Amino acid sequence: MIFGMWDEVLFHLGPIPVDHLVVTEWVLIALIGTIAYLATRNMQLVPRGLQNAFEAIIIWTYDFFTQLMDKEHVAKKWAPLLTAFFLFILFSNYSGLIPGAANIPGYQPPTSNWNVTMTLALITFFSVHIAGFSEHGGGYFRHFVSPNPAFLPLNLIEEIAHPLSLTVRLFGNIFGEEMVIAFLLFLAPFIIPSAMMGLSLLLGAIQAIVFTILSASYIAASTGEAH
Amino acid sequence: MKRNKRFYVAVLLLTMVMVLGFATFCMASGTIPAPAGKTPDFGNWFVVGWTAVNFFILLALLYKFAYNPINAMLEERSNTIESSLKHAEEVKIEVEQMRKETQSNLAESRKEAQEIVARATKAADDAKNEIINKAKEDAANIKDKATAEIQAATEQAKVELKDTAATLALLAAEKVLNRAITDDDHKNMVKEFVNEAGDLLC
Repeated sequence: MIFGMWDEVLFHLGPIPVDHLVVTEWVLIALIGTIAYLATRNMQLVPRGLQNAFEAIIIWTYDFFTQLMDKEHVAKKWAPLLTAFFLFILFSNYSGLIPGAANIPGYQPPTSNWNVTMTLALITFFSVHIAGFSEHGGGYFRHFVSPNPAFLPLNLIEEIAHPLSLTVRLFGNIFGEEMVIAFLLFLAPFIIPSAMMGLSLLLGAIQAIVFTILSASYIAASTGEAH
Repeated sequence: MKRNKRFYVAVLLLTMVMVLGFATFCMASGTIPAPAGKTPDFGNWFVVGWTAVNFFILLALLYKFAYNPINAMLEERSNTIESSLKHAEEVKIEVEQMRKETQSNLAESRKEAQEIVARATKAADDAKNEIINKAKEDAANIKDKATAEIQAATEQAKVELKDTAATLALLAAEKVLNRAITDDDHKNMVKEFVNEAGDLLC
């Protein structure tokens, strides 16, 4: 028995199998969408309550990426994607901490599965190259052979290492955290896991921020003036 | 603050109850039942595809419900602030202008008031002088009139006195002479005498 490492088809949508993970994602997306809808349903000029909090998240992330990337138009173009990364990963990480969630058979946070983190990393990977190409045109591909064509293999490895590191970092952290909580619950089900759960709150936020910042910095690097 | 504390205590209690419940469940069932699944394949392309689709659905939802309305709101807010600032600036200028206007009005009013006072003072002075002059003139007239009257009275008195004196003298002369002189002779004599005497007396 390896708790938390679980991958099972829940049902088939026509010929396409739907995993538990996918259903969890649907629920999370519905939750984020509902919060967004509730926050912006009745927009006020002077923000209050939920609208204020949600606006703060959007504006904070936007400002953050604008500071990170020196080109504001690039930040403006890619901040929505990065904010979506942040919200999705944050909610996904925290979904493992809902009390009793582990009782649902087959439940696990989507980000503790490497297929999901790999998908997110691949989206980053494509975004980086699309951003670079749209910013510099054909000149963008010069950086693969810079400073010297001999560096081409190294540059390619670097490009592949980025999404790989994103995948494994997020997956490893969340999966490990889930495992630790599960085993602590198994060994000492009372009080003790709550310390780890508190730590997980921090960890979930940190991993969401790290993934987003790294994606932002890759995009900033590919659109920067160095190319 | 007190309400916040109560809220946090409630959340803490709820969390503890949930943890306890979960722990009880775990202890009752011995272990957490291992789900009948398999370890995840690396590269379950269905999950990858679904996740990508889900992520872009999330992105679309966020665009619909978060980015677009919030951007519109931010723009509206910045427009409002800008127009408010502009309006404030305009009001400030207007107030400044009004202040200047008021000041100039005040100065003008003051000047006018001074003029009015000066004019009034002058008019009063004129009236005073006129009254005094008129009074003087009247007094002079009255005095002249009185003098003339007195003179006329004196003249008349003189004439009367002369007549009386002539008559008295005639009577006295008649008494002394005891005879009558013709009236005309006497009158002429006496008149001559009285005139001489009168000239000496007056």
